[in-house]
Amino acid sequence: MRRWTAFPALIVIIAVAGCSTGGGTATGSASAPSAVTPSSAASSGAGGSAGAPAAACNPPKQDGVTLTFVSFGGAYQEAQRKAWLEPYTAATGVQFQEDEGSSNATIKTQVESGQVTWDVVDVGNDFGLEANSALLEELDYTLIPEAEVNEALGPSKWRVPDITYGVVLAYNTDKTAGKVPEGWADYFDTTKFPGKRGVWDYSEGGIFEIALLADGVKPADLYPLDLPRATKKLDTIKDDLVLWKTGAESQELIGSGEVALTLIWNGRGWSAKNTDKKPVEMQWNQQIVTADYLVVPKGSPNKDAAMKFIAYTICADNNAKPSQYIPYGPTNINAKPAPDKVADLSVSNADENSAYFDDEWLVNNFDAVDAAYKEWKSR
Amino acid sequence: MKVERPGRLRGPARDRWAVLVLPALVFLVVFFLAPLVTMSIRSITDPPNAGLSNYTEFFGQDANLRALRNTFWIAFLSTLTCLLIGYPYAYLMTIVPGRVAGLLLIGVLLPFWSSLLVRTFAWQVILRDTGVINTFLLDLGLISEPLTLIRTTGGVIIGMSHILLPFMVLPMYAVMRRIDPEFGRAAANLGATPSAAFLRVFVPLSLPGVLAGCLLVFVLALGFYITPALLGGLRDQMISQLIVDEIQQALDWGSASAMAVLLMAVTFAFLFVASRFVHLRDVFGSAVEE
Repeated sequence: MRRWTAFPALIVIIAVAGCSTGGGTATGSASAPSAVTPSSAASSGAGGSAGAPAAACNPPKQDGVTLTFVSFGGAYQEAQRKAWLEPYTAATGVQFQEDEGSSNATIKTQVESGQVTWDVVDVGNDFGLEANSALLEELDYTLIPEAEVNEALGPSKWRVPDITYGVVLAYNTDKTAGKVPEGWADYFDTTKFPGKRGVWDYSEGGIFEIALLADGVKPADLYPLDLPRATKKLDTIKDDLVLWKTGAESQELIGSGEVALTLIWNGRGWSAKNTDKKPVEMQWNQQIVTADYLVVPKGSPNKDAAMKFIAYTICADNNAKPSQYIPYGPTNINAKPAPDKVADLSVSNADENSAYFDDEWLVNNFDAVDAAYKEWKSR
Repeated sequence: MKVERPGRLRGPARDRWAVLVLPALVFLVVFFLAPLVTMSIRSITDPPNAGLSNYTEFFGQDANLRALRNTFWIAFLSTLTCLLIGYPYAYLMTIVPGRVAGLLLIGVLLPFWSSLLVRTFAWQVILRDTGVINTFLLDLGLISEPLTLIRTTGGVIIGMSHILLPFMVLPMYAVMRRIDPEFGRAAANLGATPSAAFLRVFVPLSLPGVLAGCLLVFVLALGFYITPALLGGLRDQMISQLIVDEIQQALDWGSASAMAVLLMAVTFAFLFVASRFVHLRDVFGSAVEE
């Protein structure tokens, strides 16, 4: 009798402990990735002269050096590994330690605690500007070919774009029954295209931008964002929205047909169609062209080696190499992407209807944008 | 010459055994207490000289208040659902033969031995528009449009009740087991119908277990993150999701700490109120009789 009464109570204690830790670890694994921007940081120091690009593309031998490279995992990091990390190791002897959980919050933790283990980090377009400068090392632009980096992508003293990608409209052809959505206005038209709509659960991930574009705002007039107008437009489909937090989730949602149309990163859309073999197509009209960036956390133990590597990835010969494996484009204007992927690249499909994120405005106004998003979401 | 009575330790012997607790205590202090204290301090010092501004800002935003309200509401509904399902289950466990009771016990414990995340994803697969339930009903022709089961408060309650049910059943079972069946027979002898005997004798005696179970489930439900995040809709956001967003997207840890401290304070408040009605030791500690 005594045994039986003690046992359940004991189980309860263990379960409470287990439950809380379970929640904790679950938190980590289900966290939303920050923008998956192609960080094709062409870390070639722009010497501004012909000497620099050559130096960037011919890094010196550095035996005994280990760099920690962090990106977003999956097919993306695999492409970066094959295109940059492995050839770099072959050329210089530098060994790489990889991590797959790129997160701005982790950079902040490391820098603030003084225990920096990450050397080169691929981050989204919401990081690496003046607002985060206390957390980052200034990049060595004597090595990176500054003149060759695409200015429209917003490089800064602390970040350099390494790959470009597009935030596009993807649709499940089974659910749209042959009709083709032509732009974001169709995304908001649930009569013409019945079904749920997927969107990234992040205030600065494009949800307001697509609402404004659908409402008729020209790409050049997007910023400063007219938040009341955007939330009014979003209210029209609020009940049909499905928020996703990770790239894998978006790929799964559109592939399975859980949503008929979704906002998605073009690499994920491409994977849904070509890797998962699902009936998914993408609409390039009105895409938002953006990029991922390479940064070096402040206090990194291998700063000089990190700068040399970043310069290598930006150099024209190497910058476009990831496009052989994944449809993400180069950020060096002289780099040539793989011919069979050119049609799938965001930059190849950019036209006068394409929009661009204004990273500077977004970072400086994050509080207002985020508050508006939270308020609209919960009401 | 001291005669040592078996089973009772006195004086120096008892103090020496107490030292065994030290490693666990140190572990708890370093990895649990110290971070909690650091976080609480951070809520008033980040950004520098913040004082109580993180807290006032929290209460100033409608979205935060709605999240707080959702948190209480969903926790309450989960507790209610667990109670409605758990009470009959626990009662059943007391009236069936021992072997069957053992099987029922395993049935309620089995969820503990699988990952919380896996279970939540499983509910996603079952409840979604293209999931098990909907494809089954659509294929049978019973419905023409998928039922909206996921991304609703109902979906969250289903998932959370599934995960929290053991916490409701076990305390109730522990108490119900101790209720002497003689009381029921005595009531029958005095002329009570079976249902009257149940309602007026058994239920009042089982109340301590009910309170303990409800308390445990409610407190746990307040802090849930994964299940509401994956199964809930836009309007079902709980405070835990706000905290995560503050940490990962806004990188505003002062704000996040303030919210976490608030959640902790609310939990303590509930525990305090409950301690007036229930021996907390019975809920969280050993129920071994001396």
